[in-house]
Amino acid sequence: MIVAHRKPLEEITDMIEGLQPLLVLGCGGCTSICLAGGQKEVEELYRDLQDHFGQVGREIRLGQLTIERQCNAQFFGELDRRVGDYRAVLSMACGAGVQFVAERYPNIPALPALNTDFVGVDRDTGWFEENCRTCGDCVLGDTGGICPVTRCAKSLFNGPCGGTRADGTCEVDPSIPCAWFEIHRRLKDQQRLELMRKVRHSREWKNQIRRSLIQEPFRARYQK
Amino acid sequence: MAQTPKNTIDRQKLNDLLDYYAAKMKRQLRHCMHCTLCAESCFLFKMHRGDPRYMPSYKVINSLGRLYRRRKRLELKDLEEIKEIVWRNCVLCTRCWCPVGVNIPEMIALARAVCRSQGVYPRLNENFQQESWL
Repeated sequence: MIVAHRKPLEEITDMIEGLQPLLVLGCGGCTSICLAGGQKEVEELYRDLQDHFGQVGREIRLGQLTIERQCNAQFFGELDRRVGDYRAVLSMACGAGVQFVAERYPNIPALPALNTDFVGVDRDTGWFEENCRTCGDCVLGDTGGICPVTRCAKSLFNGPCGGTRADGTCEVDPSIPCAWFEIHRRLKDQQRLELMRKVRHSREWKNQIRRSLIQEPFRARYQK
Repeated sequence: MAQTPKNTIDRQKLNDLLDYYAAKMKRQLRHCMHCTLCAESCFLFKMHRGDPRYMPSYKVINSLGRLYRRRKRLELKDLEEIKEIVWRNCVLCTRCWCPVGVNIPEMIALARAVCRSQGVYPRLNENFQQESWL
């Protein structure tokens, strides 16, 4: 799941300067689940903006709407109907959603109300933890389900750096466990320690340029 | 930080939305042949061992259909019951398929939009636990 958090209000108010009327647009997908950009958060941001502008004695014209996904065009019906009434859209989706909105309405500025942080998991209500960097070359099968890209400070692929502390923590940041210490422990518990000896060769860092993916069963559909 | 829902319907806002989409709702609801072929395409239906409440057609008829039939008499109680169907019983995976072309995900999303227009959507309860909203 994509995890994001709201930008500071000051940054948002600077960004929306001169762009009214403004539509605060929520997303019913990932940012709803991570409690950053769902309908409740839209209502809160709407109130915060009204309060802010009220305190400085200025008018602000706002609208609010939440659609189920900002990353899938089939959910844009209601937004298509209403977006023409606004000068700009303040999107509470992840970066992918903001760009999708921007692409669909190129003459209407689409502004991000959130900072998109990571792909992660729910630890508890309101608490999320990064687990994946979407590198496009997953090695979790060899590392006992522990990602060395995300959880090793140096993103090492072939064992620890030699700086692991005696208590199994990382030399870069002693508050985090050494990923390879954890990987060793996990593989040992699974009786698959031989995987530690498997050499991963230098990789192609696929997430440095924009990627596109068509799943195998659908390739024929898009061939010309 | 428990969330407090509204307790009154904004009748003007609700009617504006339902009136705008009434023709589309009527058309899509009429097209449904009750053939149940959509059920085979829903993993929730299969996961719940064929519970008919998870059939896509059931979900549309009992959410959007209810909104359409009762559109001049809707109360928050109706929306709260519809919320259970369109959020708990459907994850909007968009995998459902209809042989006559009913756009099931669009209908579910429309039902959700009507609920949202009245402030009815999944919220945290008093123990800060999320409702099953997926």
